Amino acid sequence: MLTLLVRRVVRLVVVLAGVSLVTFAILHVSGDPVSLMMPEAPEADRVVLRQAMGFNAPLPVQFARFLANTARGNFGNSFFHRAPALPLVLDRMPTTLLLTVLAMGLSISIAVPIGILSAVRRNSVFDHGATFVVFLGTSMPVFWTGIMLILLFAVQLRLLPVSGWESWAALVLPTLTLATASTPLLLRIVRSSMLEVINLDYVRTARAKGVSEWIVIWHHALVNAALPLVTVAGLQFSLLLGGAIITETVFAVPGLGRLIVGAIRQLDFPIVQAGVFLIALIVVLVNFAVDLLYIYLNPQIRVR
Amino acid sequence: MKRWVLLAAALAIAVLAAAPPAARAQAKDTLVVALVSHPPTLDPHMHFERVGILVNINMFDSLIHRNTKLEFEPSLATSWKALSDTQWEFKLRKGVRFHNGDTMTPEDVKYSFDRVIDQTKKSPQYGNIRAIKEVRVVNPETVHIITDKPFPLLLERLVFFSIVPKKHVEAVGDQAFGTTSPAGTGPWKFVEWKRDQMIRLEAFDQHWRGRPPFKNLVFRAVPEVATQVAEIKTGGVDIIRNVSADIVPELKTHPQAYISSTPILRVHYLAFDMRSAPFDKKLVRQAANYAIDKQTIIQKLMGGLGRQVATTVQPLAFGFDPEVKPYPYDPKKAKELLAQAGYPNGVDITFHSSSVPNRPEFEAICQMLTEVGIRTTPKMWDPGPAWNKFFQTEGKATNGIYGTWGNYSVFDADAVLHPLYHTEPGGWIGKWYTRVEGLDKLIDEGRSSVDQPKRKRTYSQIQQMIREEAPTIFLWTQFDTLGISKKVQYAARGDEWLWLFDAKPAAR
Repeated sequence: MLTLLVRRVVRLVVVLAGVSLVTFAILHVSGDPVSLMMPEAPEADRVVLRQAMGFNAPLPVQFARFLANTARGNFGNSFFHRAPALPLVLDRMPTTLLLTVLAMGLSISIAVPIGILSAVRRNSVFDHGATFVVFLGTSMPVFWTGIMLILLFAVQLRLLPVSGWESWAALVLPTLTLATASTPLLLRIVRSSMLEVINLDYVRTARAKGVSEWIVIWHHALVNAALPLVTVAGLQFSLLLGGAIITETVFAVPGLGRLIVGAIRQLDFPIVQAGVFLIALIVVLVNFAVDLLYIYLNPQIRVR
Repeated sequence: MKRWVLLAAALAIAVLAAAPPAARAQAKDTLVVALVSHPPTLDPHMHFERVGILVNINMFDSLIHRNTKLEFEPSLATSWKALSDTQWEFKLRKGVRFHNGDTMTPEDVKYSFDRVIDQTKKSPQYGNIRAIKEVRVVNPETVHIITDKPFPLLLERLVFFSIVPKKHVEAVGDQAFGTTSPAGTGPWKFVEWKRDQMIRLEAFDQHWRGRPPFKNLVFRAVPEVATQVAEIKTGGVDIIRNVSADIVPELKTHPQAYISSTPILRVHYLAFDMRSAPFDKKLVRQAANYAIDKQTIIQKLMGGLGRQVATTVQPLAFGFDPEVKPYPYDPKKAKELLAQAGYPNGVDITFHSSSVPNRPEFEAICQMLTEVGIRTTPKMWDPGPAWNKFFQTEGKATNGIYGTWGNYSVFDADAVLHPLYHTEPGGWIGKWYTRVEGLDKLIDEGRSSVDQPKRKRTYSQIQQMIREEAPTIFLWTQFDTLGISKKVQYAARGDEWLWLFDAKPAAR
């Protein structure tokens, strides 16, 4: 158990260093922030600024400097906002996390009961209906879903605000949009893994004992069907973080995704680096949590 | 089965009923403006972002204001005159209050300029006023501005140059002044700023013009155009900017909104690389100008929201010469000129653009060129880093690029001529692309005199010269198109400003 933990922590550090290197490399080949900052300045002025910002040093030196600073939690000052990057990024974190967690919660609470029912009533009208909705959900791009939901609920029915982040009502549409993207796959996974276990001997035994159908499904079957669900849910969480970037743009949500997209356009290296680093950290932590859940759900892993 | 359907239906109804009414109908005394993004700072001297300028002008005053006819008007300066080629005198308005209660003094004016001229502060606006050598306090009502050489654009530059309270800025520090404690003399004062969400302002009781008609002013950041349109239809916001041609008809007929549109300084062009074939030949450049049916593009693709121009110097700018006429659409003549230039069988070229909103126009232009024999491959770029990199490397040597130039809101021919055509090393695309004998000298002549009649003659000469030499395809000037809620009475301005002191609740 302890070695497992240690191994995971080492992996975490390696992943984060790798992500930093890739981000750094891509950013530094993507253009010259100084000429974006001073589009009309004479070249001489730009040289001075490049020097002041340390851009004239060789790339490996710059990367070493960046790593040393990152290790100390210092991502530098945002070129655009002229303020330390990390607080700016951290400030946006809760918004994006809230959106992602809400969407994940909604996804699971839709996918699990409907998936189970589809499996139990295999090939019924309900099952086919669910399959149809799944295809629909997977086929719709997030930004399109978002705009359609706005048109229906905000413009036509006038039930919810179009965009913003000022009230709880404003959270509904972005959450729904994001959940539309992640629910279908979860639902398929629940259905197929339930189908695998529902005809196994131990389920039949449980039924034969006279255990109520409710307990058979929720206790005996679902716990064993949960492993693939947890795996996919963990992966979906990372996808949702990515989807949040688009959702935030459509619904004018002041989250991390919008900050990073803006920073990429402005070649604001420190913000991009801090933002990508934090997202990578969250993804790694979520995967770590998934691993722990495995151990809880499947005692065999503990023995191995 | 039935039970589940019923349950789902009941649940859906419950959710919808529980949701608060979305009628976020804004209170009557609140004006909400949607911007695509927020500026990096509210410090009016430390950014050069259009969205920032739009917010700042409603919080800060400058020495000079421009009215809706785009004429200079007194603001914090009540009068001004040139004492010599390099020295200007400004009389200051008396008894003007800052939002923090301080009275404006000449020291504040001097301080405001000094913090931009001071290069250690790295103000992005430094280049705008670098010609200013010194601001001198003469007496409690007078300041002198001394330039290092004749600077005819001085008054233009002063229209957006905010005066800030010296004592206040020094007390709170530059960082806080730009984020949590901005204070000026303008119609609205700062309340709160949630980044990328909303900037909330409140009417300033002691503003020297009097109170603005709207008590609260909110600038929301709404990046997606479709979302902005949905917001204005539902009353979530009152003003949206840059409404595109395809959305105009929809808002024109909407019961809650209307369209206000006016020509602005932004001019569209296609710049040739004149150093290499085929555009090193004047006849080919002229042929390209004859090949474009500008009226059809404006009517069919731009919803009529554009006006063709003779050169890149446009009617709103000082120095515009109405005697210089646009190239007519004449594909036959274009083919003849092309043959005369030595390309009887046509020529293959590539043009580049990163202007996503103008993609249909760009592609139409390329098609029209192809039809006369200048077979053009249009290449679109993402306006982000890829374009930036292209522009700084290969972009220096290609056949040409489509572009738009906003003149930095300076109503003077120099603001477009210098960046587009001057070849000095510090310049913009002119240094790579343009090679017209004698043009540099004329542009220099225009910018180094404050004798306006003389400058006007110089600019007439330049316009005749560039129309003949055709270093660019001259296209059209863009319109600024606002979508406005019917609850609000306001009109788009030629300088793209949102001067919301002029906005009034509509009488209904």
